[in-house]
Amino acid sequence: MLEKTGVATEQDLARVTPSKERRAKGPVAVIECFQRIPCNPCQTACKTGAIKEFKDINDTPEIDHDACTGCGLCVSSCPGLSIVVVDETYSEEEALVKIPYEFLPLPEAGSFVTGLDREGKPVCRAKVVKVLNTKSMDRTPVVSLAVPKDMSMTVRFIKLNDYFSDNTIVCRCEELTMGELRELIRKGYNTVDEIKRISRAGMGPCQGRTCRQLIMQEIAAATGTKMADLTVSTYRPPVKPVKLGTIAGGEHGE
Amino acid sequence: MRTTEIAIIGGGPAGLRAAISAASMGAKVTIIERNENLGGQLVKQTHMFFGSQKQYASTRGIDIAEILLKDLDKYKDRIEIMTNATVLSIFEDGVISIEQDDKYLKIKPQSVIVTTGASEKFLAFPNNDLPGIYGAGAVQTLMNVHGVAPGRSVVMVGAGNIGLIVSYQLMQAGIEVKAILDASPRIGGYLVHASKIRRMGIPILTSHTVKYAHGTDKLQKVTICQLDEKFQQIPGTERDIETDVLCISVGLSPLTELLWQAGCNMKYIPELGGHVPVRDKDLQTSIKGVYVAGDVAGVEEASSAMVEGRLAGLCAAKALGHATADFEELHNDCIEQLNSLRSGHVGEKIRKGLEQVAM
Amino acid sequence: MRIKEHPILSFSKGRKVQFTFDGKAYEGYEGEPIAAALHAAGVMVLGHSHDKQRPRGFYCAIGNCSSCLMVVNNEPNVRTCTEPLKEGMVVETQKGKGDLR
Ligand SMILES: Cc1cc2nc3c(=O)[nH]c(=O)nc-3n(C[C@H](O)[C@H](O)[C@H](O)COP(=O)(O)OP(=O)(O)OC[C@H]3O[C@@H](n4cnc5c(N)ncnc54)[C@H](O)[C@@H]3O)c2cc1C
Ligand code: SF4
Ligand code: SF4
Ligand code: FES
Repeated sequence: MLEKTGVATEQDLARVTPSKERRAKGPVAVIECFQRIPCNPCQTACKTGAIKEFKDINDTPEIDHDACTGCGLCVSSCPGLSIVVVDETYSEEEALVKIPYEFLPLPEAGSFVTGLDREGKPVCRAKVVKVLNTKSMDRTPVVSLAVPKDMSMTVRFIKLNDYFSDNTIVCRCEELTMGELRELIRKGYNTVDEIKRISRAGMGPCQGRTCRQLIMQEIAAATGTKMADLTVSTYRPPVKPVKLGTIAGGEHGE
Repeated sequence: MRTTEIAIIGGGPAGLRAAISAASMGAKVTIIERNENLGGQLVKQTHMFFGSQKQYASTRGIDIAEILLKDLDKYKDRIEIMTNATVLSIFEDGVISIEQDDKYLKIKPQSVIVTTGASEKFLAFPNNDLPGIYGAGAVQTLMNVHGVAPGRSVVMVGAGNIGLIVSYQLMQAGIEVKAILDASPRIGGYLVHASKIRRMGIPILTSHTVKYAHGTDKLQKVTICQLDEKFQQIPGTERDIETDVLCISVGLSPLTELLWQAGCNMKYIPELGGHVPVRDKDLQTSIKGVYVAGDVAGVEEASSAMVEGRLAGLCAAKALGHATADFEELHNDCIEQLNSLRSGHVGEKIRKGLEQVAM
Repeated sequence: MRIKEHPILSFSKGRKVQFTFDGKAYEGYEGEPIAAALHAAGVMVLGHSHDKQRPRGFYCAIGNCSSCLMVVNNEPNVRTCTEPLKEGMVVETQKGKGDLR
């Protein structure tokens, strides 16, 4: 419950999420402000009239998503930092999420950061497309992030150290990085076998001896499963790389 | 003895607005502020304020202070400013005594507007006096006024607006906030503030409190525990968090010593933070010529403090014969703004409290 | 620890000055409260309570609570959370109720 946790529930969000059709048309503001408080700068900032006139200063903002141009003027004027602009037309696979970010250092355009959800949990990798910080924004810069399209209504904050582009090598034979592994787990590949099939990790000469443990730990951490409960990968023979000729030659002494 | 028409005690948003409005009516005003700088709580607030344009919504507290000081400057021939000057007492004959830079002074004003704000409440738990355990106001002063980090990491007690905002400000200053605790089962502050903190991954633990602070010389860790519906500690739920700062933000109570001395009729109103003066619609207390505005009259917000200050300033000036043609209009505007600020769900508590102190 | 960069604020500091705390040399900025300069240098214990000898740091930082009383240039009971730092100050922890020694 929002009042207990500070995190909006699905029901809360259902009330403010622009329709799929509207999102497919271009940038639109998502206003996650659910409580009656004496505040109205979002309405004052909106020049298109998409945010309807407040009858009472305590009203929660009511927005006509069809009238909203996604200009983003409201984003940096909201003291609650509760508005983002979402643009699902950004590219075939990615959506743009524009968030207010009042911290230093500011991320650099072109860099990769970790997308966080409403509880601060890492959910995907995000590319910083633009950082807008004009005088009129008064020290509330707006960061544009490219995220996987299905993450447009999930990513609401970032962490600068990029969890998903961590270059630590997990599988030295196939050169799978930790970042790539995390990205795969996020996409739903959450058994060692599935990851092996898609990335070839564990199919190199060491046969997964170096990477299997690390992959399992990461799956356990990301999915909240105990190591003991994970599906163990199939162990295929042979357990040690041998020259093809060794086998093809038939059993010694035969 | 020095004289003035209106003495304003406390140079926070309420006091500054009171000075500006009284001076704009033509009154001669003296502001007495114990700090080196004017602005009260505003000078520590780096976040954008709520409210509407009339109360400078979406502007940061520090910048609202600047705006008020500029307005003040327009009337500088009528406003005298005393800083580093603490009012020690108001005598029954209306004379006020002041300590300024180790000197003792007295002033005889025709009226006073008391805008002394509020002071922080404290919390009782073992070892609560260890260095490293600070009030939220102190943490803000140290970090936002003096640019010094209170420590490496912080556990915040209190999920009201102040606890939430100070946590956010700590993160902005690069200090890790490990958790925010609140004894209540619900978050008391604005939920938009709570959500922006949660997004950064900081847990807000409702129904939790500090049970024990540990450390020999200074704070090293705290033991927290869960509370049941009756606010009783649940045995077995204890958990340790290592931290070098514990920040206490469990509410404010009006700073009313001077009003007691002046002989004002006071009432205990929990909704307004503690003992507050009974007042009429002009914000005059039971003692003629003693007005109040802002947190000292009931802990609320800077937005309402400014409007109250403006109202008290107008009324005090009028009572001394400085009427302007648009007085009624200005008066009504103040009342309307206050009603609107207090009309919501959050203002409900304030409305309930105010009903009990109306004269 | 000083806050080096801040997204909203910029801190304008006075000039650097030297002072001593219980005989050891320290550095701070002129005009900032003595307790802030000490805190920035990692000193959190400003004194001990007179009865139970419990360590004391500052608490309110605005001159309300008297938790930060120290001896400054031989004068006891100085509220160091508000007292501005000056070049060459001699700051000492206060023992007992702060009688002049
Ligand atoms: C962390 C925090 C965040 C806040 N956020 C918001 C917000 O977003 N929006 C909002 O509207 N409000 C906010 N507030 C509340 C707002 O700051 C206060 O309600 C407001 O400052 C009250 O104004 P005031 O003038 O009554 O008191 P204060 O600002 O407290 O000013 C009182 C002044 O009186 C002086 N004084 C006291 N006693 C004496 C004396 N004896 N002699 C001389 N001077 C004296 C004090 O030094 C002080 O300067 C916040 C408060 C805090 C602490
Ligand atoms: S994005 Fe622009 S048009 Fe849409 S609500 Fe915000 S200010 Fe109005
Ligand atoms: S400005 Fe932000 S916090 Fe205020 S009403 Fe609008 S959305 Fe809510
Ligand atoms: S810390 Fe409270 S008076 Fe100095």
